[in-house]
Amino acid sequence: MRPRSAFRPALALTAPLVLFLAFAYALPFLGVALWSVTLPEPGVGQYERLVSDPLVLSVFLRTFRICFLVTLIAVACAYAVTYVWVRGTRLQRRLIEICIFVPFWISLLTRAFGWLALLSNRGIVNSWLQALGLIDAPLALVRNEPSVIAGMVHVLIPFAVLPLASAMRTVDERVLLAARGMGASRLRIFWSVFFPMTLPGVIGATLIVFVFSLGFFVTPAILGGGRSIMVAELVYLRMFQSPDWGLGAAISVALVVLVAALMGLLARFARLGLMGSGR
Amino acid sequence: MNDAFQKDCLDILAAKAARGEIDRRRFTQLAALIFGGAPLLLRTPEALAQVRQLVLVNWGGDALKAYDKAYGQPFEKATGIVVKEDGTGPTEGAIAAQFKSGKPTWDIVDADPFSAIALGKQGMIEPIDYSVVDKAKMRPGFDWEYAASTYFFSYVLAYDAEKYGANPPKTMADFFDVAKFPGKRTMYKWGAGMWEAALLADGVAPDKLYPLDLKRAHAKIAALKPDVAAYWGGGAESQQLMLSGDASMGLIWSTRASLIEKDSGGQIKFTWNQGLLSPGALAVIKNNPGGKENAMKFIASTSVPERQLVMFEMLGQGPANPATDALIPADQRRYNPVDPANMKGQAVLDMPWYADNYGAALDEFTKVISA
Repeated sequence: MRPRSAFRPALALTAPLVLFLAFAYALPFLGVALWSVTLPEPGVGQYERLVSDPLVLSVFLRTFRICFLVTLIAVACAYAVTYVWVRGTRLQRRLIEICIFVPFWISLLTRAFGWLALLSNRGIVNSWLQALGLIDAPLALVRNEPSVIAGMVHVLIPFAVLPLASAMRTVDERVLLAARGMGASRLRIFWSVFFPMTLPGVIGATLIVFVFSLGFFVTPAILGGGRSIMVAELVYLRMFQSPDWGLGAAISVALVVLVAALMGLLARFARLGLMGSGR
Repeated sequence: MNDAFQKDCLDILAAKAARGEIDRRRFTQLAALIFGGAPLLLRTPEALAQVRQLVLVNWGGDALKAYDKAYGQPFEKATGIVVKEDGTGPTEGAIAAQFKSGKPTWDIVDADPFSAIALGKQGMIEPIDYSVVDKAKMRPGFDWEYAASTYFFSYVLAYDAEKYGANPPKTMADFFDVAKFPGKRTMYKWGAGMWEAALLADGVAPDKLYPLDLKRAHAKIAALKPDVAAYWGGGAESQQLMLSGDASMGLIWSTRASLIEKDSGGQIKFTWNQGLLSPGALAVIKNNPGGKENAMKFIASTSVPERQLVMFEMLGQGPANPATDALIPADQRRYNPVDPANMKGQAVLDMPWYADNYGAALDEFTKVISA
């Protein structure tokens, strides 16, 4: 339990941020939420459409499918990368740092176009494969769902690394030594000792990556070839291309509620993670 | 659909500047002029009321420069009214938001005619005052109650000339015929023009297109899906798809097709045959701060052929005033979507139909291509 006196300065320090968020985010969002039950006429008709419109349903399903796969791949890759980052040699650690932080500084748009340059018909991969005589005609590597997943994983791995690293750093080396002393194999030590101890980090990383992936707009729009439309783009479609603010607002509300629920879950696990670290 | 198109014009302009086709010094001068206008924002409302000005909202970036050079500066010289370009992007949703706020800060919008018509019916757009704006300086049929045409572009068939060699595709039927013309295609993601293309390919006569038989069009579009490399959402993307070889045939904007044809050294060509002509227009938001009269005067001023010529030169837009056609140098006429020679065989998108049906049609289209 924290001493009560510490609470007030903390409140004073965070109040500007809370106020800013209230005015710049919560208030306008309430307006949007209001549209969802008033446009084009008052009622819950837009929410009924949300669960009955085949386009909306198929886009939500695709979004979940893609986000699920992206999360799985990104967290698995990030786990390996983080393991080397935290426990590798000095040189390995430096290399991994470059691989993690350089993408952070490069815009999403640039990276999506990078994938295009790499994977399109006259792109680097196809021209090399053709030059080597391995293929006759270029392979369709880009502007499909797999390339959307690759592009999203690329963006999201660094976001998974940070919570994983903090979990791995709290693992007490002596516990691993003890396991080794008891005669456990390396694999056994990993699966029975190390991995369970980093599980809160895995859960945190999973939720962060999943929540971020739900809102992706640019990467699927560029790499999806117009076929892999995800929820964020559907909202854009509803707001601008076929003005239908009511349904656009209802989709936004559904997305925000979902994300808030996941964030709530994240907060719970983050607290568990903190307790796990022995504080 | 147009919002993406207009934004694209800016990209084209940027590309031209990068290649040195547009005088860089002129660019700097214009930029200085635009920045010079910035202090206006800082003045008090009282001071502002004395500055006569109009805010023209287009799609940002380099369109600011094109509109300023073609229309803004000559108008200011003639009337003393400052025209400020704002690149926010007047989507139908954004215009509605401006009006509904009760205190719009925009005067004139470079909007889709069908958006203006739809919003006009809801009382958000001023009817065009045709006693000020001269209908005689517009192509007949492109003078709507709530929007006045200022330019044209077209959805045209572009193809890889190397791949198809002596037997290039010539019609929309060829575009949809993958047996006779194998190779990946690209189409517009937001539907406009694509329905018409599918129906023409299916044998509908150009003058019998409207009201569009969407069911028939979507069946045709769905059948082509396996052979579509991607559905493009912006001009740069369409250009990239054609140049990278991802698509060997595409239905793309004429402004981009012209650029690709010039840039690819003849590898990519396009035909005007069965092109789908689409108008762009200006509209005035109701209760606009700069006053309805001044806004109408500005729209009237855009019909001057020399000014529209600047828009053709800088952005590749076809002029709204037929008198401009003759000013275009003979070697450039191939790229004018409304040149009489190019107009032959093209069909025109029906804006009133789009005003009533675009939203629902786009929904269906999106369902078909993303299912």
